[in-house]
Amino acid sequence: MEYLIHLSILIGIYAILAVSLNLVVGYTGLLSITHAAFFGVGAYVTALLMVNTDINFFVALLAAVAGAACVGAAVGIVLSRFKGDYYALVSFGFNIIVFSIFLNWQSVTRGPLGIPGIPRPSLFGYSLSSNSEFLVLVAIFVAVVYALSWLITRSSFGRVLKAIREDEDALRVFGYRTHHYKLTIFIAAASLAAVAGALFAVYITFIDPSTFTLTESIFILALIIFGGLGSIEGSLVGAVALVLLPEVLRFVGFPGEVAAQMRQAVYGMLLILFMLYRPQGLIGEYKL
Amino acid sequence: MEEGVHRKEMEIASQLFINSIIAGAIYTMIALGFNLIFGAVRFFDMGFGALTAVGAYSVFFVTREIGGSVMMGVLAGIVVAGLVGHGAYRMVYAPLRKRKASDMVLLVASLGVFTVLQAVIAMLFTNQFRVLSQSAGLERTFHIGGGVITETQSIIFGVGVFVSLALFLLLSYTLFGKQVRAIGDDEEAAVIVGINTSRIIGTVFFVGSAIAGLAGILVGYDTGIEPTMGLGLLLKGVIASIIGGVGNVYGGVAGAFLLGFAENFGIWKISGEWKDAIAFALLIVVLLVRPKGIFQR
Repeated sequence: MEYLIHLSILIGIYAILAVSLNLVVGYTGLLSITHAAFFGVGAYVTALLMVNTDINFFVALLAAVAGAACVGAAVGIVLSRFKGDYYALVSFGFNIIVFSIFLNWQSVTRGPLGIPGIPRPSLFGYSLSSNSEFLVLVAIFVAVVYALSWLITRSSFGRVLKAIREDEDALRVFGYRTHHYKLTIFIAAASLAAVAGALFAVYITFIDPSTFTLTESIFILALIIFGGLGSIEGSLVGAVALVLLPEVLRFVGFPGEVAAQMRQAVYGMLLILFMLYRPQGLIGEYKL
Repeated sequence: MEEGVHRKEMEIASQLFINSIIAGAIYTMIALGFNLIFGAVRFFDMGFGALTAVGAYSVFFVTREIGGSVMMGVLAGIVVAGLVGHGAYRMVYAPLRKRKASDMVLLVASLGVFTVLQAVIAMLFTNQFRVLSQSAGLERTFHIGGGVITETQSIIFGVGVFVSLALFLLLSYTLFGKQVRAIGDDEEAAVIVGINTSRIIGTVFFVGSAIAGLAGILVGYDTGIEPTMGLGLLLKGVIASIIGGVGNVYGGVAGAFLLGFAENFGIWKISGEWKDAIAFALLIVVLLVRPKGIFQR
C-alpha cells in the first residue's frame, strides 16, 4: 500500500510537469526541451529556503514559482528569437546551463552532494509527514494545475495559442503580438513546473543535480508525446503509463541497474515508434 | 617573486593554448560529421552523438574483451559506428523523410535513437567510467612553451587535420561530393537529374557516423569512456557547427576552434566545471547576434 502511495505521488508530480509542458509543446507548437531546468529551479529554491530558514512550505512554494517565472521570462525572451528545430536546440542549451549552475555553484547548491534534510510541509502547525497525507496535497495541486490548464486552453487566450501553432504568420497579419502570447505561456509553464519541483523536494526530502538533467527533460517530452500533444488528458495518461512502466519491468525480474537502463531504452523506443507511426500520441490532436 | 608569478601565468597560458587546440581538433571532427549529415538531410540528428560512444565501446570490446590489437579495435570501432548510423537512417529517418515528416519530428526521433543507443551500451558494458589506453599515465609527453602535450593528444591533432583534409577533398573533387551538395541544395532536383539520393544519403550517414566513432575513440584514448560520453561531445560539435554556420564545412572547423579556445580560456580564472555553460552561452550569444552563424552561406 505504501508503495502504491509512493507511485501515486510520483505520478502526480510528473502529471504536473507533463500538463504544463504540453501547454508549450502541444498547444503552442514550441518544441521546448528544457522543462527539467524549471523543475529544478522550483526544487532548489524550495529546498534552500526550507533548510536555511523556517518559513512555511507554502511561502517557499510561492518563492519557487516566482523564481522559476523570472528564469522562465529570461529564457523565454531569448527563445522567442528562434523557431522550429533551432528553438529546440537553444532550449537544450538552457537545460545544460541551468544544470551546470546546480552542479557548480557549490557555495549555494552544495554541488553534487545535493541538499539533504528538507523538512516535510506543515499546515497550521500540523506536519504532513505521512505519505498518504502528502498524496492528498499532491492530488490537490494536480487538480489545481489541471483546472488552470483547462481554463487556459478553453479561453480565447488558448485559442490564440493554437492559432500560433497552426500558422503564426497569418496570426500576425491579423495584428496579434504573437511573441507576447508565446512568452506568457512559456512563463506559465515554467511556474507550474516549479510547483512540481517544490513538491518533489519536500517529498523526497533530498535533491541533487542529477534529477534535473537533459535526460529528464527528454523523459517529460516522452510523457506528453506518449499521451498526446495538445491534450491535457493525454498528459495525465502519459504520466500514469510511463511512471508505472519501469515498475512493471522491475516486477518482471530484471536486476536494478539493468532495469534502470531498460527504462531509458524503452522511453527512447517509444519516442521513435510514436514519431514513426503516431506523431500525435495516443489521444493528441497535434502532430509536430 | 613578481617574475615567478609572470612565468607561472605564461605556463598556464601555453597549457590552455594546447588544450584549446586539442579540444578544437575533436570538436572539428564531430562538427564535420554532423555538418556532412545536416548538409544532406537538413535536420538535426541528435542520435549522431551516441555514435561516439558506439565507436569507443567497440574498441573497448575488441581490445579488452576479445584481446584484439589496437589497430583492429580502431578499425572495428569506425566501421561499427558507421554501420549503426547507417542503420538508424534506414530504419528510422528514411521512412520519416519519405513521409515528409517535419524537422521537429525527425529531431524527436533522433533523440529517441540517442537514448536507445546510450541505454543499450550501458546495459552491455555497465555505467562505469573506463579507460581505453593500456598505458594510462605512462605515456610519452612533449613540452611546448611550458605546456605539456601527451602522445595521444598529438595523434588527436594529426587525425583531426587528416580527417578535415580528406573530407574537404572528398566533397570538392569527387562525383560523390558533388552529389551530396546537389542533394543538400535541392533534393527533388537531384532525383530528377538521376542521382540515387537514398543511396548517397545512406553513404553520407555511414561516413559521418564513422567520423563520430573515430572522434569517440580518440577521446576514449585521451581521457576515458562512459556510455553518456556522447551527449557532451554531440552538443559541442553541434555548437561548433552552428557558430560556424550549419552545413558549411569550413565554418564548422572555425567554429570548433573558436569554441575550443573560448571554453579553455574562459575557465582560466574559474572552475573547469563551467565549460559546458560557457559553450552554450557562446552559442546563444552568437545566435542572437548572427542567427545563421559567423560564416553564413
